[in-house]
Amino acid sequence: MANKWGYPDLGFGIGLRTVHFEHILKNNPKIDWFEVLSENYMDTGGKPLHVAEQIAERYPVVAHGVSLSVGSKDPIDFDYLRKLKDLCKRVNARWVSDHLCWCGVCGMNTHDLLPMPYTTEALKHTIERVRAIQDFMERPIALENASTYLEFSVSTWPESEFLAALAEEADCGILLDVNNVYVSSYNHGFDPKQYIDRIPKDRVVQMHLAGHTNKGTHILDTHSDYVIDSVWDLYRYAYGRLGGVSTLLEWDANIPSFDVVHGEALKARKFREQEDAAKKQAPELEEVPAYGD
Amino acid sequence: MATSANLEQIQRWMQACIQYQGGVEEALVSEAANAAIPAEEARNVVLPGRALTALERLDIYRDMYLLRMEEALGIDFPALKHFLGDDEFMKLVARYTDAHPSRSYTFNRFGDHMVDFLESQDELPKRDFCHALARLEFALTKVFDANETPAMTPEAVRAVPQDAWETARLKPIGPFQLLAFDYPVSLYIGAVDEENPFPRIAKKKTWAVCYRRDFHVHRMNLEHPAYELLSALASGQTVGDSIVSVLTKKWRPAVKQSQLFEWFRDWMSEGLFQAVELA
Repeated sequence: MANKWGYPDLGFGIGLRTVHFEHILKNNPKIDWFEVLSENYMDTGGKPLHVAEQIAERYPVVAHGVSLSVGSKDPIDFDYLRKLKDLCKRVNARWVSDHLCWCGVCGMNTHDLLPMPYTTEALKHTIERVRAIQDFMERPIALENASTYLEFSVSTWPESEFLAALAEEADCGILLDVNNVYVSSYNHGFDPKQYIDRIPKDRVVQMHLAGHTNKGTHILDTHSDYVIDSVWDLYRYAYGRLGGVSTLLEWDANIPSFDVVHGEALKARKFREQEDAAKKQAPELEEVPAYGD
Repeated sequence: MATSANLEQIQRWMQACIQYQGGVEEALVSEAANAAIPAEEARNVVLPGRALTALERLDIYRDMYLLRMEEALGIDFPALKHFLGDDEFMKLVARYTDAHPSRSYTFNRFGDHMVDFLESQDELPKRDFCHALARLEFALTKVFDANETPAMTPEAVRAVPQDAWETARLKPIGPFQLLAFDYPVSLYIGAVDEENPFPRIAKKKTWAVCYRRDFHVHRMNLEHPAYELLSALASGQTVGDSIVSVLTKKWRPAVKQSQLFEWFRDWMSEGLFQAVELA
């Protein structure tokens, strides 16, 4: 329990998707936990909510949203927060997360995770909103680094430092999406390991993994495929640096069977074990005088 | 010209660019974008990347915006999409999104204006059929999301004394929508779902009830007198008055008493009512 709230390492989970509902309810598969996409269960009294409640009786569940719009200049949507709070109670959400992004202004929602300009003005604005949201929710929230496809010329902070400062000042958690670090590093040309080095360990409550689509000129975060080797390497690096935290595989397009998705999530265990073994085998480094001293 | 735009300006500008329907160059000089950040400054808001220009990077978000809206409306109106075809449906989505951009945290509300919007779409092929189709598909989404109300059990039905039925009132379940159409739209949806052959797209009065049982959404096609009877019951009339209101109308062929029993039996077994209120 390296994070400051003592949130446990739930193990290896997957995102709950409708195509797997029947399989899960019928077979009770042995899986550590599920993440529910909050908005899919907030405005309905139908089957999705009914299934989510049943699954929450059998497995630990975490609520993950896409419409908090934490960086938006629009007023905070307290109607949304009320429904989110209610959902968290209904599924006994262990924690709740969303993204460092904005989704719309002027009362509109683009339903996208739009990039923030990383300025001090934006940081102050987002800190205030996160504090207000956490006060209302009566619990900390965790914010995920989103995949981004552009950078603003006015930005004065690297994203990783912006996210770290936000987490410290607003006293919120971080959901580190390892695939998103890789995607954004490819799109913007930064060092993904340096990004992870800047993330405060005690703030990280969860990690995400996913597949993506490489278009050559840029990568799109499509959640439509297996995790690539470079992202697994980065996950192993993040584990070595940040320790074991709840790890979740997202698969949202061309979704294969439950067993395939779950199998992909379980690969994370192998990379953790490799990192543990490597640490055990590494000789203790001793202080040696520099040559010529 | 470098930009010193603040957070609010950048967000209004970017949203205006992504929502603009046209080329990205035109988006920069569009009224909404220009109001947030002047066009001469706009080219410097986004940095160029390793392999893409600043505008190409902005265009990634623009491209995805409409595709996302199309995907959401395609989920709510699959038969309308099937009828129009991918290209025509995408054009409709573009016009709709322009007129009614999403204003909710959930896509569940995005299609709320579609039925009304179609009334104004004169250029749409067979607009009235599309309108009727959208009405039925929208009703199905309402039924999908409605709050669950348990249906009356067979025991509860049997517990009602025979002589109490005439003055009793039946209360429909929450996920319940009763509709009348000028086209065979329920059959069309059935054909898209490969339940039956495609009907001829010509004017024809049809009736249907949409409801949910065990969290599965169903459609039941109705004969006209059955629709009238169910409407009367759903409006709160007593069972006796509802039956009288149907039987006093002239139907061709005439409604037989045995049909009434069959309808009631079907509706009860499908769980269309949640309670019976005795006088």
